Amino acid sequence: MMARLARAEMPRLRQMLFVAGAVAALEAVNRLTGVSGSLLVAEIIIMMVFASSLNLLMSFGHMVSFGHAAYFGLGSYGFALAITRFDVPAEAALVFGPLLAGIGGLVFGALCVRLTEIYFAMLTLACAQITYTVLFQWYDFTGGDTGLTGFMTPRFGLSEANFASAAMVLALVCLYVLWRVVHSPLGLAIRSVGQDRYRAEALGLSPRRVQLVAFVISAFFAGVAGTLFAVFHGNAFPDYAGLGFTLDALIMVVLGGLNSFLGGVWGALVYTLLKNFVPLMTAHWELILGLILLAIVLVMPHGLAGGVKRLAGMLGWGALR
Amino acid sequence: MTQLRSDLILTARGLRKTYGQFVALNDVNFDLRGGEKHALIGPNGAGKSTFISCVAGQLPGVEGAVLFRGRDIGSLRPHQLAHRGIGRTFQISRTFLQMTVLENMTAAYVIAADSWTSLRRRVLARQQDKAANMLRIIGLSQRAHERVLDLPLGERKRLEFGMALAGDPDLLLLDEPTAGMSIKERHHLMDFVAERIDATGKTLLFVEHDIDVVLKIASRVTVMVRGGILVEGTPAEIAANKEVQAVYLGEAH
Ligand SMILES: Nc1ncnc2c1ncn2[C@@H]1O[C@H](COP(=O)(O)OP(=O)(O)OP(=O)(O)O)[C@@H](O)[C@H]1O
Ligand SMILES: [Mg+2]
Repeated sequence: MMARLARAEMPRLRQMLFVAGAVAALEAVNRLTGVSGSLLVAEIIIMMVFASSLNLLMSFGHMVSFGHAAYFGLGSYGFALAITRFDVPAEAALVFGPLLAGIGGLVFGALCVRLTEIYFAMLTLACAQITYTVLFQWYDFTGGDTGLTGFMTPRFGLSEANFASAAMVLALVCLYVLWRVVHSPLGLAIRSVGQDRYRAEALGLSPRRVQLVAFVISAFFAGVAGTLFAVFHGNAFPDYAGLGFTLDALIMVVLGGLNSFLGGVWGALVYTLLKNFVPLMTAHWELILGLILLAIVLVMPHGLAGGVKRLAGMLGWGALR
Repeated sequence: MTQLRSDLILTARGLRKTYGQFVALNDVNFDLRGGEKHALIGPNGAGKSTFISCVAGQLPGVEGAVLFRGRDIGSLRPHQLAHRGIGRTFQISRTFLQMTVLENMTAAYVIAADSWTSLRRRVLARQQDKAANMLRIIGLSQRAHERVLDLPLGERKRLEFGMALAGDPDLLLLDEPTAGMSIKERHHLMDFVAERIDATGKTLLFVEHDIDVVLKIASRVTVMVRGGILVEGTPAEIAANKEVQAVYLGEAH
C-alpha cells in the first residue's frame, strides 16, 4: 500500500502540470502564429493521436505493424462515405470513421494475430495493401484515385485556430483513454503478452485474444486520427491508407522512443515540424531529413522520450513517463 | 511404510513426442497422486522438460492421452489448463523482463483472477495488494520496484515460482526451479515449496538435478532415460536402485 502510494500519487501532480504546460504552449503557438501556425498545430495534434495509437501496439504489445495507415484511411473513409453514400449528417458521421477503423482492426487483426513477429508485420502490410487497393479501385463507391471531395466545408467551417483547439481537446481525451488503457489490468495483459507470450499463456492468458483487443483499440484510435484528418482537409484519398502514412507513423514512434507512453507524442511533434520546415530550407530536404533522423537516433538511443526523461532527470525533474 | 492412497490427479498414457526423426518421449505412462511431491530426474536430454510441456499443453503434435483429474486435457490450450489448476515454471525462467517485480506479480494475479479485460484502477489495486503480499512470502519485497532484467537469476526463478502460485494451482509443475542457485538457496527455496505444498494439500511435480534436494523433498521419484521411464519409487528405493546408479555413474557428471 505504502509503496504504491509513494510511487503513483506523488508524480500525478507533475504529470498534470506537464500536460497543462504542453497544452498551453501548443495553444499559444496556435493563437499567436497566424493561419499557418494553426494548420501546423492541427497537423501535429492529429499525428500525435495517430502515432500514439501505433505506439500502444509497438511499445506495449511489442507488435510491429507495417500497415497502420489502413486504419487511418478507414477512419477518413468511414466518415466521408457515411456522408456521401449514406447521407448521414456530417456531425453524426464523425462516429463512423473510428467505427469502420475498429471493424477493420477486428477483421484484419483476427487474421494477423495468428502469426507473430515479422510474419505478423508482413500480414499487417498485406492487409493495408488490400485496403489501399480497394479504396483506390472501387470507383463507384470510394471514388477511386480521385478520392472523396467536396462533401463538407473543411473543418466544419471553423477557423484554423478554433479547429486546432477543438482537435486538441479531442486528442487529450484520446491520449487520456490510451493512458488509462496502458495503466489498467488490460494494459498489464497487453504488456505481458508483448514481453513473454509463453509466460502469459502459462498464467492463463490467451495471447491471441489479448493481441486482438490491443489491435482493435489501436485501430480505433488510428481511425479517430484519420477522421480528424478528413475533417481537417474536407476530403479522403486512398493515400491516407497508403505506405506513406504507415511509414510516417513508424518513424514517429521509433523517433519518439519505444517503451514510452509519450513516444508517439514527441515523435509526432518533432517529425511533423521537420517535415514542414526542412523542405523550406533546402532542396535536398529528404537527404537532410534522413540525416537529422539518423543523428537523433544515434544521440538518443531511447528516442526523444528517453532523451527528455534523461534531461528531466538531470534537472531533478523526474517521473516524466 | 504404507502409501497414503488418494485420487490420481494426473495420468499420462502412451505419450509420444518426436522432433523430426528424434523420439523425445517414447510411450510414457505416468501416474501422479494428489498431495504427492514427485521428483522427475534423469540425465540431460532424457525428455523431462518435454514431458512437463506436454502436461502443460505447450507442445504441438503429442500422441497419447493426458488426463487431469480424470478428464482428457489433450486438446486444451495452455491458458485453459492454467485456469483449470495447472501452474508451471520453465527450465529457463520466463518472466516479464522489462517490468518491475511487482508488475510481474500483479500481472500474474490479474490473469489468474481473469480480470485482464478490466480498465478499472480499483481492480488493479486489489490485485496489486495480493501481489505485494506474495512478494513478502517469497522474500522479494525489497525488489518490488526493480526491473526483472536487473535481478540475479536465482531471484528471477523465485519470482517465477511466486507467479506460478498466483493462480493457486492444484498441480504445480516446476522445471528445474533451483538451477543456477547456490546450494543454500536451493534448499531454502525447496524447503519453502515443500512446506507450502504440504500446508495446502496441492500436488507438486518437479524436475531437479540436485539429488540431495530430491531425496530430502520428494515423496516419490521417477527416473527418465532416453525418452522413457526407467523406474519409479520412493526416494529410498531410487537411491538403492542399481540401474539408476549405473545411469548416473555412466553420465559425465
Ligand atoms: N524443439 C526441439 N527441437 C528438436 N529437438 C528438441 C527440441 N526440444 C528438445 N529436443 C530434444 O529432445 C530431447 C529431450 O529434451 P528435454 O528438454 O525434454 O530434456 P531434459 O530431460 O529436460 O534435459 P535437461 O536436463 O538438459 O533439461 C533432447 O535430446 C533435446 O535435444
Ligand atoms: Mg529440461
